[in-house]
Amino acid sequence: MRFAPPNPLRIADRASGLNALSVRSYNERLVLSLLLQNEGISRMEIGEKTGLSAQTASVIVRSLEQEGLVSQGEAQRGRVGPPTIPLSLNPEGAYAVGVGFSRRRIDIALIDFIGTVRFHTQLPADEANPFPQSSELFGAIRQAMTSLPVEVRSRVAGIGLAVPDDVDTMAATRNGSSTSLKALQGEIEEQNKLPVFVQNDITAAAGGESMFGVAKPLNDYLFFYLGARLQSRLILNHQIYKGNSSASFDHGLMRLESELAMRRRPSEIIWSSSPEWPDLGEAYSAWLGECSDRLKASISALTQFVEFRTVVLSSYAPRKIAEALCDDIGREFPGIEALPARVTISPKAVGAASLPFSSRFMIQ
Amino acid sequence: MRSVLCYGDSNTHGQIPGRGPLERYGPGERWPGILRSQLGSDWYVIEEGLSGRTTVHDDPIEGAHKNGRTYLRPCLQSHATLDLVIIMLGTNDLKIRFNKPPSEVAMGIGCLVYDIKELAPGPGGSTPEIMIVAPPPMQDDVKEWKSIFAGAPEKSRLLALEFEVLADSLELHFFDAGSVVSCSEADGFHIDAEAHRLLGTALARAVDAIGWSRST
Repeated sequence: MRFAPPNPLRIADRASGLNALSVRSYNERLVLSLLLQNEGISRMEIGEKTGLSAQTASVIVRSLEQEGLVSQGEAQRGRVGPPTIPLSLNPEGAYAVGVGFSRRRIDIALIDFIGTVRFHTQLPADEANPFPQSSELFGAIRQAMTSLPVEVRSRVAGIGLAVPDDVDTMAATRNGSSTSLKALQGEIEEQNKLPVFVQNDITAAAGGESMFGVAKPLNDYLFFYLGARLQSRLILNHQIYKGNSSASFDHGLMRLESELAMRRRPSEIIWSSSPEWPDLGEAYSAWLGECSDRLKASISALTQFVEFRTVVLSSYAPRKIAEALCDDIGREFPGIEALPARVTISPKAVGAASLPFSSRFMIQ
Repeated sequence: MRSVLCYGDSNTHGQIPGRGPLERYGPGERWPGILRSQLGSDWYVIEEGLSGRTTVHDDPIEGAHKNGRTYLRPCLQSHATLDLVIIMLGTNDLKIRFNKPPSEVAMGIGCLVYDIKELAPGPGGSTPEIMIVAPPPMQDDVKEWKSIFAGAPEKSRLLALEFEVLADSLELHFFDAGSVVSCSEADGFHIDAEAHRLLGTALARAVDAIGWSRST
């Protein structure tokens, strides 16, 4: 029998803590991803779903528990069969900051490991300078970090930026600089000593909903984001697809704004994150009808090519709007379930904040 | 019904702290007994605790039969089929007569694991689940055992880490007894009835956490 001292590598990993950018093993990512999708599954179920042996699962779970990423619940004793011990992601195990850039505002959010928004603030955006290296923006990011107690700040996994496709080109034509996003990314990285990830804003919002929201259990769905404009993504087998055409529908909140303007009514409220809007009268109902028709037309066109059973509608606007539109869709397409997204506080910023998690903890 | 073998030393035997070698807690009081009552009728709990048992050493004073390695094979085969083997050893290896660092004690445990895997006494000739339990650290004052255990209390505090490194490396279930109990002040290295109760309860939970399918 040949015998060598055991390999101390794992323990060494652990001592260096969350911030060492060590490569996390595929199996650890597999277990974390499973726990994100299925809260409260047991080690045996992890083994069944991954093909890992009970002992391997035990080693991985033990190490994730010691890192504080995973926690054990109380034993569940059923009437038949052995008791099971449910495992869950520890909400306090990791945090991330997300910045969502839009035409009218910049959202900054801090989320925990299960996607709960722990801090949220907004800044007004300047269309001429969409990626400002301003003290307000850096200050807001810092404020998001310092909203955490000092001892857990090292658990911030990174920062994500959710960026609209057209804003950068728009700005580039105006001030002649297309590098402003890159420069901002570099500056944020430098100031916070954390990795910064960038993604298209609508794709990020869809990713956030897949990770934390109603789309968690869904392989395939059609995602709409109702912001200034109405934009969509198709998710097939967890892959997020973006249409080739840059045409996004002009039936979003910008349209509502012009409807209101036509009737000489104030429209500031629709760009705020207020959970409730006052009665906006005729302008609102006219817009809602058009928006609903546009959604139904898109869905109807797409069903000719792809099979999907779920539509998820995401927006920062009051939830009752998404609910009304989902009801409309449900009535029109009995075979399709339309769900208002769960993430309602700045879906773009939450989606952006999910980027460091997927990069550092999850399987892609 | 599933079978679990509890393979250990005097703290598995249930020796009462500060008393003679023949004084032992009752079957329902020692940790394998607590484990039995906690796991319920689905499990057959087998006690194999021998006072003075080492991982892999013949004891020149107490006898060759204290060697945990030579007895393990006949023991596994006697009690097969086994679904789970729990090993809680290591304290006796710290006696000055063996002169071993904590890492070497962990390697001794590694030898036992090797033998279990080789013998494969699990269902259908498979390897059973194996759980390594690090013994609770000794108290600094081990009374009249002071010379026998010279230097041992300090080493005993390092066993849990060494055992866990081993368990990670060999992919084994692991439990640190020191996380739930301490050794009794009465002699400094045995655990009392309350500690047996706590340890048995915690181990039952650790056994459940492995996850077992309904069919037996």
